[in-house]
Amino acid sequence: MSAAGTTDPSQERPAPVDKEDEGPPEGVVASLGAAGIDLFLGARDLNSVFVRTLYYTFRGRKEPGSTLKQMYEIGNKSVFFLTCTMGFIGMILVYQSGLQAKRVVPDFTLLGATYLELLVRDLAASIGALMLATRVGAGIAAEIGSMVVTEQVDALRMCAADPIDFLLVPRFKASMVMTTTLIVWSGTVAFCAGAVTAYVAFDVPFHTFFNMQLVDKGDLSIGLAKCVAYGAAIPIVSGYCGLSTFGGSEGVGWATTRAVVNTSLAIIMLNFFISAAGFIIFPG
Amino acid sequence: MAQPASESEPSEGVLQATGTAFLSIATTAGGMTILLAKVTSRVLTGRLDGSEVWKNLYKMAVKSLPIVVVTALFTGAIMVVQAAPIVKRYGAEGLVGWGAGFGTLREIAPLLTALMISGRVGANNTAELGTMVVTEQFDALRVLAIDPIAFLIAPRFVSIVMTLFMMTLFADWLALFGAAYTGKGLLSVEPRTFYNGLTGGLLGFGDVANGLLKSVVFGFVIALSSCHFGVSTTGGAPGVGRSVNATVVASAAGIFVLDYIVSFLLG
Repeated sequence: MSAAGTTDPSQERPAPVDKEDEGPPEGVVASLGAAGIDLFLGARDLNSVFVRTLYYTFRGRKEPGSTLKQMYEIGNKSVFFLTCTMGFIGMILVYQSGLQAKRVVPDFTLLGATYLELLVRDLAASIGALMLATRVGAGIAAEIGSMVVTEQVDALRMCAADPIDFLLVPRFKASMVMTTTLIVWSGTVAFCAGAVTAYVAFDVPFHTFFNMQLVDKGDLSIGLAKCVAYGAAIPIVSGYCGLSTFGGSEGVGWATTRAVVNTSLAIIMLNFFISAAGFIIFPG
Repeated sequence: MAQPASESEPSEGVLQATGTAFLSIATTAGGMTILLAKVTSRVLTGRLDGSEVWKNLYKMAVKSLPIVVVTALFTGAIMVVQAAPIVKRYGAEGLVGWGAGFGTLREIAPLLTALMISGRVGANNTAELGTMVVTEQFDALRVLAIDPIAFLIAPRFVSIVMTLFMMTLFADWLALFGAAYTGKGLLSVEPRTFYNGLTGGLLGFGDVANGLLKSVVFGFVIALSSCHFGVSTTGGAPGVGRSVNATVVASAAGIFVLDYIVSFLLG
């Protein structure tokens, strides 16, 4: 976390180089232990970023202007990208499941209803969030990372302003709102694209496909819980990766990479835990 | 890609913005095609630095193993969790293996592996190439009469495609493993029943081949976009950040579009 670029490199990047230099004496146990310690330190820092963000969200300065700006950056600029990808994923999903249904039971009456249930419960939120993680997460990490390497974050600290309050909290608030909005929108796009595909490829009429009987309270609450969780995870994880940037311009590239990978991993893990909890709370 | 359009003044009008966006898309598409042609010519004539391929394979494939393992295990688990209510509703325990296997092998394993590899390997590759371009190391190679395409680009290109193919094979296996044991934990479906559902005749080699073919196509998308945006980096250090962002976005969009096209063509 400390952006004093001289101490950090020893913990993070050159681990493989060390191994090659020191050679055999460092065994499997040592490298496993080093990885474990790295993981623990990373988790602790991430947790501290999360807690401080939450604290400043409720207790910090009120700055609606910067939140609105971030909402524009995160939300409006991702609409086109998300619409394209989710439209295509909607077409793929319906096409693939239609092919399968044809193989087993040639009955398409519940295709739309099952698809809508899956979309509401999981796919709209998870795939949409993965897309947002690549676009928004990479953007946040690159922006904050280049502020770190050009010492603007240190300048903020010198002015007794916590960079988390200034940089991360507006993005956090904006992402909570915009992720949910974008996911609702992209789910709608995916469903409509699926309806068109079903009509063209399998002759399923629109009024059969637009069938909401399988979507219940459980599906909706799981879907919304996922939206909120992903909306929080994307700025926190990628902001953490941005803040722990070191090593000049190359470091910004590394930070972006780590942000995309870690945010995607966070989304996949959250998906698993929320889905499992949802299955236990709302069985059947 | 949206960069030039967003920087334009508000007075410039819709027409100009559309034109700028169209021109930048055309530039990107053209640049990628030319790069692909150059790389193909180097690979076909065998002008390819073997030790670079080896080094990149280690850096890309071996180093990505942990994230691929975690992603695949969780993905398999999620497939079963999602199928669980439907399985419970119809009491179709025997079909869990088929359902999870079908979704995993044909769609989810190739897609999620590609997204993770694009985030890790593609972005990293762009950052590396971009840094080399802005610090003029490419020009230095040319001065030394070393072909930068044969020495830097083609090995990375080949390595990315190979990495994605191997990682997808690996992820297929691990995701099914994760799915089988989640099924046991959550639905108390024995792994044996799961594997019977998997090999019971509804799934064939075609489904596996379908997913693997997709992974090769995705590999081409990631390799092409990351190399292209890396090489065409301009504007110093901030330019590298912009290229990385452009790569990740272009790869993700390309993966989804081609996923649809490949699924549709293979039927």
